[in-house]
Amino acid sequence: MSQHSAATVDAAPAAPPVRRAWTPETTIRVFVGAYIVLFFAYLFGPLIIMSITAFNSSSFPRAVPWECLTFEWFAKAAADDRLRMGLRNAAVIGAGVVSLSVTLGLAGALFLTQVWPRARATYYTVVISPILMPGVVLGISTLLFWDRIAKTLGASTDTLFYNGIFLTILGQSCFISSYCMLVFIARLQRFDMGLVDAALDLGATNAQAFRKILLPFLKPAVGSAAVLAFLASFENYNTTVFTISHYNTFTTEVAQKARLGIDPSISSLAVVIIVLSLIGVLAHEGWSRYAARREKTGARGPGAFFRGNPAAIMSALIVVAGLGTMWAAQHHSAAACKAEVLQEKLEIQRRLREEAAQRRLERQQQQGPAESVPARSGIGSPGRGTFGDVFSPESLRGAPTPTAPAEPRTPGVFSPDTLRPGTGQ
Amino acid sequence: MTRLLAGLYHRNGAGMATFMLAGVAFWIVFLIVLPQLAMLDFSLRYDLPPARIGGPEDVYTFDNYKFFLFGHPGNPEGWNFVDLRVFARTIVAAALVTVLNLAICYPIAYYLAQSASGAGARAIAIALIVPYWINEILRAFAFRIIFGDAGVINTVLKLLGLVDQSIDFIRMDVALYAGLTYAYLLLMIFPLYNAIESLDRNQLEAARDLGAPWWRIHWRVVIPFAKPGITSGCTMVFMLAAGALAVPQVLGGPSSLWFTQLIYQSFFDFLNWARGAAYAVILLVTCTLVVLLMMRVFKVRLGEIGR
Repeated sequence: MSQHSAATVDAAPAAPPVRRAWTPETTIRVFVGAYIVLFFAYLFGPLIIMSITAFNSSSFPRAVPWECLTFEWFAKAAADDRLRMGLRNAAVIGAGVVSLSVTLGLAGALFLTQVWPRARATYYTVVISPILMPGVVLGISTLLFWDRIAKTLGASTDTLFYNGIFLTILGQSCFISSYCMLVFIARLQRFDMGLVDAALDLGATNAQAFRKILLPFLKPAVGSAAVLAFLASFENYNTTVFTISHYNTFTTEVAQKARLGIDPSISSLAVVIIVLSLIGVLAHEGWSRYAARREKTGARGPGAFFRGNPAAIMSALIVVAGLGTMWAAQHHSAAACKAEVLQEKLEIQRRLREEAAQRRLERQQQQGPAESVPARSGIGSPGRGTFGDVFSPESLRGAPTPTAPAEPRTPGVFSPDTLRPGTGQ
Repeated sequence: MTRLLAGLYHRNGAGMATFMLAGVAFWIVFLIVLPQLAMLDFSLRYDLPPARIGGPEDVYTFDNYKFFLFGHPGNPEGWNFVDLRVFARTIVAAALVTVLNLAICYPIAYYLAQSASGAGARAIAIALIVPYWINEILRAFAFRIIFGDAGVINTVLKLLGLVDQSIDFIRMDVALYAGLTYAYLLLMIFPLYNAIESLDRNQLEAARDLGAPWWRIHWRVVIPFAKPGITSGCTMVFMLAAGALAVPQVLGGPSSLWFTQLIYQSFFDFLNWARGAAYAVILLVTCTLVVLLMMRVFKVRLGEIGR
């Protein structure tokens, strides 16, 4: 299997090297390939469809039927004041959470190396438990605890204890510190404590040993813990929604929009986040590959950065494509196309109305003028046996058939009012 | 204790030792333990208006827990079927989502750990990570676009003439289960991958040479070996699914609630913090019990979970 080092995700397993005859193993490989394709369809399908809806002019987020290419949803999201406010709050909270969690996580990880072995398991269980607690529980407990403290102290409602941003930082830090601690523990496991001992033997103070030996070793871990903490804070909802009080964050605001209204500007936010994370992941991958090769060959510079480095090339391409799209958005107007689509819709509506009037006329000629209430106007869907039962024996007998309410899905066109001649909309 | 402290200060110097102790103490006391106790305390009290808090009526009670079981006093049905049903449904559905997740992720994790190599494995890993940089809510929203009344699936089915009326996937909870399963794929794949990756390929070769069919190799070699990873992944996914709030809020049907939504309602719709706290305690206790049960049944230590 290792011979066909896969160049792309989908193609590789689906095309096993044909060296032997068709064996049961080949069958398994084909199944595995098909499975991987299906799996990634499940993984990316929803995101792709959502991204398409961000560019469709239909005011309801839909990928089909396609109407017009538009960038208005991006403009709408960018102009949303509550979203901007949410972004700002999220940045403040993120900064607070990063500084608090990285500190606590570092303290927790260092303490784990020192705590005496018998208490170690208990200690570990306690500090890892926030990860395993439901987020809502963390949010609620933080809210209630600080409420209790504030009441005990007799603090007024404009103090820190009732401040949503402060509470959110504490609530999120409770479990994000555990994440950070795990990052530090992983790094510390590769640390040789003998180095610190050597420094101490050579006359360094403890503080110096920490600053000059341990901290530089932990520096990459500080970076990744900070990034992890910020991302976890930014996208947290379950805890935040309980502690945020009357403030909002980007995530709670998006949740509010996604729950109440359904609007393609949410999709446009998703597109922005998807593009940014793609660039981030690919650039990181490209950079680490470049750094690894620089160690080996010493090749430097942008040429060496992109050569034989598909991740770097792809991230650069996405940046270019994104900028190009932004430029195109400035010069693109969907107005003409939208007018056309609207015209088409009106045309269809008009034709349906005409057909309905035509039928009504025919029926009146058959039944005489007394029959004015259309029978069961709700039955049937457009273009497919509509009003089929108008000609049923019952209607001909003139029996008082109950008038079903017009179907909500096709408002206007089939409602009794529309059938009256002369009602234009 | 004093020996520990003395040792800590001796080994690390005053500054470092104080930093460690203060950090850990603040974290454990003010962020973990006391808030949970405050929540427990709240749940054991009556829901009183602020003026009467601390008065003679402010005593401990099991009222909020009784409400969960029996409903209002004088409830003719005897049991609080509405809330109990929501609770049972949440637990069962979370377990279902967990099993689905395991079934979907196991082949991928195995492929990634044992068969894929080099650039292919890197590409798959990147492809797995990217969707998880995107907010859970936006991912849920994507499923709403797909499964909604005028969503992609319904539109395509109608265009093909397979159905006349939209199929209400949201009410049938199909969208909810698909969205929840999707939301936690990565948290299942990574523990599985870590566990399977450390399996020595020679063991597989040996089993194959001894004539074991592929399914028996998995059943007798890979799965027993990967048990800690499986337990860890399942625990994480179960906890997150049972405690999910965003996905059910976006994808839940109008008539079916998730247990966390009941908690949310107690806090924000009924403004009954005491009952909300009690329900949160119930959720926490249930989740803890499930973790302990999983660890007992599969004989895994907590240290191996959450890696």
